[in-house]
Amino acid sequence: MKIAVCYKLVPDEQDIVINGDHTISFDKAEWKIGQYDLVAVEAAMRLAEVAGGTVSALSAGGKQLENSKLKKNILSRGPVDAYMIIDETMSDADSYQTAYVLAKAIEKIKDVDLVVCGEGSSDMYAQQVGSQIGELLQWPSVNAIGTITLADGKLIAERMLETEVEVLEIPIPAVISVTSDIFQARIANLKDILEAGKKPVVRWDLDDIGGVPEMSTNVLSVLAPPQADRRRVIIGGDSGDQINEFYEHLRKEL
Amino acid sequence: MSRVKDVWVFTEKQESIAELCAGARQLGERVTVLAVGSRDRIERIIAFGADRVFYLGDTGADRTVEDYAFTLSKLIEEEAPDLFLFGATKRCRHMAGRLAARQRTSVLSDIMEFLTDKDEIQGTQMVYGGAAVRTLASKSATVFSVVGSGVFTSLPEDADREGDVRAVDFVEPAYRVRCMEKRERGGTSVDLTAAKRVIAVGRGIAKEEDLKMIEELARLIGAEIGCTRPISEGVNWMGRERYIGVSGVMFKPELYIAIGISGQIQHMVGCNQSGVIFAINTDTAAKIFSQSDYGIVGDLYTVVPVLLEKIRAAR
Ligand SMILES: Cc1cc2nc3c(=O)[nH]c(=O)nc-3n(C[C@H](O)[C@H](O)[C@H](O)COP(=O)(O)OP(=O)(O)OC[C@H]3O[C@@H](n4cnc5c(N)ncnc54)[C@H](O)[C@@H]3O)c2cc1C
Ligand SMILES: Nc1ncnc2c1ncn2[C@@H]1O[C@H](COP(=O)(O)O)[C@@H](O)[C@H]1O
Repeated sequence: MKIAVCYKLVPDEQDIVINGDHTISFDKAEWKIGQYDLVAVEAAMRLAEVAGGTVSALSAGGKQLENSKLKKNILSRGPVDAYMIIDETMSDADSYQTAYVLAKAIEKIKDVDLVVCGEGSSDMYAQQVGSQIGELLQWPSVNAIGTITLADGKLIAERMLETEVEVLEIPIPAVISVTSDIFQARIANLKDILEAGKKPVVRWDLDDIGGVPEMSTNVLSVLAPPQADRRRVIIGGDSGDQINEFYEHLRKEL
Repeated sequence: MSRVKDVWVFTEKQESIAELCAGARQLGERVTVLAVGSRDRIERIIAFGADRVFYLGDTGADRTVEDYAFTLSKLIEEEAPDLFLFGATKRCRHMAGRLAARQRTSVLSDIMEFLTDKDEIQGTQMVYGGAAVRTLASKSATVFSVVGSGVFTSLPEDADREGDVRAVDFVEPAYRVRCMEKRERGGTSVDLTAAKRVIAVGRGIAKEEDLKMIEELARLIGAEIGCTRPISEGVNWMGRERYIGVSGVMFKPELYIAIGISGQIQHMVGCNQSGVIFAINTDTAAKIFSQSDYGIVGDLYTVVPVLLEKIRAAR
């Protein structure tokens, strides 16, 4: 089985700087792999290990994708290779544009049996791209997948909805989006990281995959919400007296 | 605020039908609900505020809600509604995404507020884990949106309302996923948003049984218990309805006590409107402290037992 797992690079939200006019800036932000996409990579690896097959990592984004640490990071988690569609328009792409480009890339990779997406990207968390890729490829797709196995060439999966669990039979090729707790993402060791540096990375630009449609949305503003002012009375230790001081503050609120 | 003409609603749960119908009436002139399930529900859907119901039929052993994607897609092509609202469930999100992709557009997801300006529909949503609020507009003929829960307030049910009902023919799906079995998912239902006092725990709690001491503290001060996402989704120590943050519950209790919580933005946006915030954390540098009114740099296993003693003694 050939599995493609989709991951997105996102700015670390802890490094976002709020400007005086409430606009935000990423200039100082470190980039990282989306938290839930690491979980998706793990799910793809586990399935490939049990059912047999290989995993390729796939991402569309801006120049951050070229960062060698981030390339090693994704490949150290098990994928045999990585495909990257790099263009600045992809760093602000909406779900449809992203799904469109990823679907084209999946067709170009050829013979993909299964696409695995995370529950949501760490920046937009729209939980949309997986569902849209499925429709663009005209493959069955499903979200909220919490367990997967392969039996007789079909996926058997449990879908974790709010109040019920569905047991599904999914014909392949298919697109699934997994839950954030399907597995714990693995921690790569030094050997994995060294080997990751030797794995092939295929780099495409938009022309290679036939361009990208126009944005389907207009972003009018992105602003930091107003913050409540806090007193910030911090007691620096937990001796008896200090806990008592903390308790006295609490008592007044009870 | 100007309104659009045709607003469609698709959702699973009875309560959210009422909320979305109320929202649709606010935003548009004519409200159409696309209903799957038992036919008996139709009258209530009209009473909740629908002008029209497109009745799709009932699911059964060989038909899932997902199988109606092709039926819905055909209706969208034929009728081109201006706005299509979906409930904030996993199933609805998936349906919205699929239908929008077929119309070559994106979904405005988890919209907290709608604005209509010169016939353009705009919505606001949280992005970057809650670090920013984004306002966006859709350029497509039909605007697709997943509506955040609790954004609209249901109108009182009006049994005298009249509406049109149209039965819609099923379109055989070109590809599908088969549902072999369904099970109820256990879990309690607690409405944290109604609580005045909340104690929330994070990964600073080492073992599930240590929650007992937190429950005792909650009982003594009349608080509800909540948690961070990893406590609910990572280790499953608490139900999903108890985790607080951008993807969980967002609320403003009068008192919030954060125990063993680092204070990541995704969590804090759920509680940073609270009246007063207390925090207990061993790490001086924890982000929670700059977002609290009172904090103690201490081990929860030292601090909480002493608090329990003092509160008991004071009673
Ligand atoms: C798209 C997306 C959406 C998310 N949505 C949410 C959400 O809605 N809600 C949410 O909560 N998270 C959410 N998260 C996860 C979030 O980013 C954080 O990972 C999470 O909130 C951290 O939980 P925590 O504070 O319990 O754990 P940690 O960050 O691990 O913090 C544990 C804290 O406990 C302290 N501690 C340890 N031992 C002790 C002790 N003995 N006594 C006192 N203190 C101690 C430590 O110093 C540390 O600060 C989301 C993430 C993403 C990517
Ligand atoms: N630019 C991208 N490149 C690769 N995969 C992506 C990209 N954006 C989103 N995805 C995948 O789609 C999932 C859902 O993203 P979203 O709809 O943005 O929440 C993510 O968890 C990723 O697996």
